[in-house]
Amino acid sequence: MDLLARIPQLLVYGIVSGSILSLGGIGVSLTYSILGFSNFAHGDTMALGAYLALALLPAMASLGIGGASLGPLSFGWDFVMALLFAVVLTSLAIVLLDRLLFRRLRTAHRITLMIATVGVALALRNALQFVWGPQPHYYSMTIQRAVQVPALGIRIKPDQVFIIAAAVLLTVLLHLFLRYTKLGKAMRAMSDNAALARVTGINTERVILWTWILGASLAAVAGILTGLENKFITPELGWQMLLSIFAAVILGGIGSPYGAIVGGLVVGISEEVSTAFLSTGYKPAVAFGILILMLLIRPTGLLGRRT
Amino acid sequence: MELFIGVVNYLVFFAITAGTYGVLSLGLNLQWGYTGLFNIGVAGFYAVGAYAAALVSGPPPDVWDGRLIGGFELPFLVGLVAAAVVAGVVALVIGLPTLRLRADYLAIATIGIAETIRLVLKNESWLTNGVWGLQQIPSPLYGPIHRGAMAFIASHPDLPEWVQRLISKAYNGFYLALVLLVLCVLYFFMRRLVHSPWGRVLKAIREEEDAAAMSGKNVFSYKLQALVLGAMIMGIGGALYAHFVRFISPNSFEPLYGTFIVWVMLILGGTGNNKGAILGAFTVWGIWTATDFVTGHLLLSATQAAALRIIVIGLLLEVVILIRPQGLLPETPRRRRSSLQKEAGEAQPPPPP
Amino acid sequence: MSWLRVDGIVSGYGDMEVLHGVDLTVGAGEIVTIVGPNGAGKSTLMKTVFGLLKPTAGSVSLADVDITGMAPDRIVRCGLAYVPQVENVFPSLTVEENLRMGAFILAGDLQPRFERVYELFPVLRTRRKACVGKMSGGERQMVAMGRALMLDPELIMLDEPSAALAPGLAAAIFECISTIHEAGVAVLIVEQNARASLALSDRGYVLAGGLKRFENTGPALLANEHVGRLYLGG
Repeated sequence: MDLLARIPQLLVYGIVSGSILSLGGIGVSLTYSILGFSNFAHGDTMALGAYLALALLPAMASLGIGGASLGPLSFGWDFVMALLFAVVLTSLAIVLLDRLLFRRLRTAHRITLMIATVGVALALRNALQFVWGPQPHYYSMTIQRAVQVPALGIRIKPDQVFIIAAAVLLTVLLHLFLRYTKLGKAMRAMSDNAALARVTGINTERVILWTWILGASLAAVAGILTGLENKFITPELGWQMLLSIFAAVILGGIGSPYGAIVGGLVVGISEEVSTAFLSTGYKPAVAFGILILMLLIRPTGLLGRRT
Repeated sequence: MELFIGVVNYLVFFAITAGTYGVLSLGLNLQWGYTGLFNIGVAGFYAVGAYAAALVSGPPPDVWDGRLIGGFELPFLVGLVAAAVVAGVVALVIGLPTLRLRADYLAIATIGIAETIRLVLKNESWLTNGVWGLQQIPSPLYGPIHRGAMAFIASHPDLPEWVQRLISKAYNGFYLALVLLVLCVLYFFMRRLVHSPWGRVLKAIREEEDAAAMSGKNVFSYKLQALVLGAMIMGIGGALYAHFVRFISPNSFEPLYGTFIVWVMLILGGTGNNKGAILGAFTVWGIWTATDFVTGHLLLSATQAAALRIIVIGLLLEVVILIRPQGLLPETPRRRRSSLQKEAGEAQPPPPP
Repeated sequence: MSWLRVDGIVSGYGDMEVLHGVDLTVGAGEIVTIVGPNGAGKSTLMKTVFGLLKPTAGSVSLADVDITGMAPDRIVRCGLAYVPQVENVFPSLTVEENLRMGAFILAGDLQPRFERVYELFPVLRTRRKACVGKMSGGERQMVAMGRALMLDPELIMLDEPSAALAPGLAAAIFECISTIHEAGVAVLIVEQNARASLALSDRGYVLAGGLKRFENTGPALLANEHVGRLYLGG
């Protein structure tokens, strides 16, 4: 009985973490569908964003941006501005990476590219560790009070509402972008058939550039929100989430950003709900279990199409 | 003389470790170099082999142990076989559901497996003693050789001191010979495989899977065999490691670093080339130890030094991929059209990139 | 004066050489058909002209400008458009979006261009918001050709436009090709359905085994018994 009573609360936690996984997964799906390979460095891109935001926070004060809390949220405008700057910087870093490395491998075998991303992942993660060390860094030391929502039988913190709202907002913006802008349509076109896109005269390098920018931006946001939710970050943050993110992406259908959203929520909720039955140490195993299940039953995922 | 002994000792240790990695590289070469299986779970098979050997050959659990079973104190060779078998079984279990998948799915699945293996090694203390690891793993023939060496020294008191010191470390020399022996055996085994009909089918699968399938070969079965055989080789590598260091814990098998460095070794050495695999192992291990020296002279904390060294290896990988992706010793060039496809007749041209 | 000129093209895939030295010209506003058996290299030739394959020898020029091996997205700007045989539309985009992609490099008011395509293929106007992936083969072929026309090309290359289409639809496609030609666009067609295509062509080439075997006006090739027996399948 106690178990069942905990489910709604676990659902809330699941939606929060699922929102973050969705944001991370969209980038992976976009990279896969447009560039044609799985980017194992995506998790560490999230970590990069998280650390950059942390590093920029003090700089915001010197810019005269106040740190007073915004309403019930635990952070102020300095955090928001730090987030925006971190997103920009992370995108720049990833675009630079593309110019230096991936661009020269455009015609390389898909697996070679994936191996290259593993190398990037390791280098990136260890660069973060080099600069900041392996110990946790705290976004905030204060513990936010959760608010009771008796109607649903749950407690939720305002920051968590912010996370969910941010994910929803970004998802809607992405949808509008893909649906109604020329570049968005070009991205969908390239995702359908990159060779035909070239034949049509679409500037594929420009589409690729924006794919990296979008993916890295969302990853940075996801990383920063992870820091907001967990209160601290470590260099391993990204890699630890990578398995869950890939489980989400494959569940939703690799190559479908919308699938990543659905997948993220399902994986997030499953992981949290599983803690009612399994020890929390096995959460990654839950994601892995979902992954294997999907690969066995329906590798194209829920919303996926032809590979 | 001090220096000489120190250098000799160091080189022996170096060669033992590099040789063990060479074994792992050969296993990966079979899976990836020949068959094109993208296995990021190398460290998992390696760990499983090490633990199997340790549990089979090691002492039974004692008072401080959390274990309930294990430690049968069986001979080294039994442990070696056990390591290979257990690693092979794990590969079989993993391979059955996942090998039909595309490369990236297999990669993700193998990452997950390696993580799961590590979790199991950490958590299931009744078997593995959890994070405290397994101690006192016996080294094969340590007793006789060491005693023999000491006896030799005792019976020849007029030998110069440095010679005596060297001989006292004779066991390490023996172990090096053992590792090199295993490496040679495996190398020749792999060579035979490559030139056999079985090996040719593997290459055909790697290059043109559809053509191989159309020729009636059971592609899945071949892939599974390659995965299992490669894993068994990695398991042997794990056993060699365990018997040398005599203490293992889940942290010895940091999945990503253990796996990643073997990949860099194979790619640098030459994917698809057995000599390349071994050369790559020694080269990259040499670079790795060199980074240890270099970072030791920089003013860095321990974790910073460790991080920097990994960044160097990561950069090394990217440079190799950009500049010489075929590695130092490229695979012996074959015609692009596989022999299987030639039999199938004039093939349809593949779609343009 | 020939607008498209192909000289001694040697091209193929990896080690496999498919074209062993092919010459070809297309004059401004001409319809030219290439016929020949499977594996002759017809599609390979088109892909080489359009920069999807790099030739090992020979040259391609448009209006005396050398475009050999140039990237497709640059060739498109030179007035050459290409409709591949298969996978020639974006299935998850609508008709309108597919056409829009055809004019990707352009800005400004594209409505007149849309109008021209809709005039040529009226059914696309009514179904312009439909997802192309759900449309029939014939409709998709129209979208593919319409997409290529959005840029007002000088020459449009069609790789087996009537393949996998029922005869009635194939005839309709050839009608459209005629109409395009009347508007002054040169057309280079690779076709299995050789008779129908040669019938409306100014000139034709027979390609077999990676080499040019015959070259003549469309009607002359049709009338040639030798060609008819060997390559036009009766």
